[in-house]
Amino acid sequence: MTVRHAVLGLLAQRPRHGYELRAAFEAVAGGSENWDLKPAQVYTTLARMEKSGLVSEQAIEQDGGPEKRIYAITPDGEKELRAWFAEDALPEHHHDEFYLKLMLALISGAANPYRLIHIQRNSLYRELHAITNQRTRADAGHELAKILLLDKAAMHLEADLRWLDMTEGRLDEIRRQPLPEPETRPRGRPRKTPDDH
Amino acid sequence: MPLVRTENLTKVYGQGETAVVALDHVNMSVDSGELVAVMGPSGCGKSTLLHLLGGLDRPTEGSVMIDGKSLSSLSDNALSQLRRRKIGFIFQFFNLIPILDAVDNAALPLLLDGANSKQAKEKATEWLERVGLGGRLNNRPDELSAGQQQRVAIARALLTDPMLVLADEPTGNLDSRAADEIAGLLHQVAKEWGHAVLMVTHDPRIAAYADRIIFLKDGTIVNETNLAAGDRPDAAGEVEERLTASGQMQPAAGQMRPASE
Repeated sequence: MTVRHAVLGLLAQRPRHGYELRAAFEAVAGGSENWDLKPAQVYTTLARMEKSGLVSEQAIEQDGGPEKRIYAITPDGEKELRAWFAEDALPEHHHDEFYLKLMLALISGAANPYRLIHIQRNSLYRELHAITNQRTRADAGHELAKILLLDKAAMHLEADLRWLDMTEGRLDEIRRQPLPEPETRPRGRPRKTPDDH
Repeated sequence: MPLVRTENLTKVYGQGETAVVALDHVNMSVDSGELVAVMGPSGCGKSTLLHLLGGLDRPTEGSVMIDGKSLSSLSDNALSQLRRRKIGFIFQFFNLIPILDAVDNAALPLLLDGANSKQAKEKATEWLERVGLGGRLNNRPDELSAGQQQRVAIARALLTDPMLVLADEPTGNLDSRAADEIAGLLHQVAKEWGHAVLMVTHDPRIAAYADRIIFLKDGTIVNETNLAAGDRPDAAGEVEERLTASGQMQPAAGQMRPASE
């Protein structure tokens, strides 16, 4: 789970308390507008990780306000973090909602697939426009990390738009082919037929 | 009223059986301070639209209105004056004169219009500085990068303070970084300097800089979308109408039932 490993990574930098961790996470994840992490999630994550020995409470700070528990990474936590860095991080592209909509429109006839493509294209362009604006406003002098994240989003949207154009061009062809259907496999014991007697 | 508007703009090349309808009753507009992108497959009528808007060609039917005036009502002389003074052109291959430096290239429209040479060069220098080429004033095109050459071309297009700027694949000959810079500059031309800008592009990344995208196919507008935040999502009825017009609303073939929406 990503938040867990990000917390480990941040504690590998230096010990921190929960509030600080949340702010640091949002900063490295591209800002709170990009990844809004709930405080409760930070504290439950820390509690769970403390139980499994990945982090430990190092000190309690109290400067007038409520007490702050400072957490540090343990050797087990460092091991876990190293394993995470060594793992693959393939993006999720198997579960695509638009693809499902398109297939169901084709199968059910309940929506016009061309219309779905039009609406989707407009939405993707609006999103790309918003990201382009953010990217234009970002200062390349000290916001390169943010720009890289925006570029990644923009490039993915461009690819989605290209795929949409290609799909639109091949829609009539798709419609002439049999649509995806489950394979009909006999289940259980083969039925007895009168001939078997 | 928008600055530029077309009414049933139609262009047919050839006659009789060999006639090709390049543009078929197109109604669109561009306003001052607006950056509009035109997209579509090759042969969809993008270039024809640009030529008609720029007064480089005359329509078979319909009209182009610029600032309340119909281009068809203008004489050839008046049209060429409008082209020189009120419309700026930007091309894919920059169309700079190889033996002239940046200042002389940018000053050309005023020089051709008979302006005082010193004043024309001063104004060209001013615009070159504004598009970020202050340090390259006396370089010839072959001493400039592709992106810098396009900046010279943009300064040249803006020199006469045109109402309308037409850009034909302005980033088509640039690497992606220079393309982004030029698209950003065209955005600035519309947003900060208040010109109406229409650019033809096939690159989604470049089109995304625009306020609005017009999609052309077979000479008709098949889709038009506002990109600015807060704009209404496309009215379903409008989409339906365009789909019907472009023949994509017909019942499906084979096992498909017609969409019941």
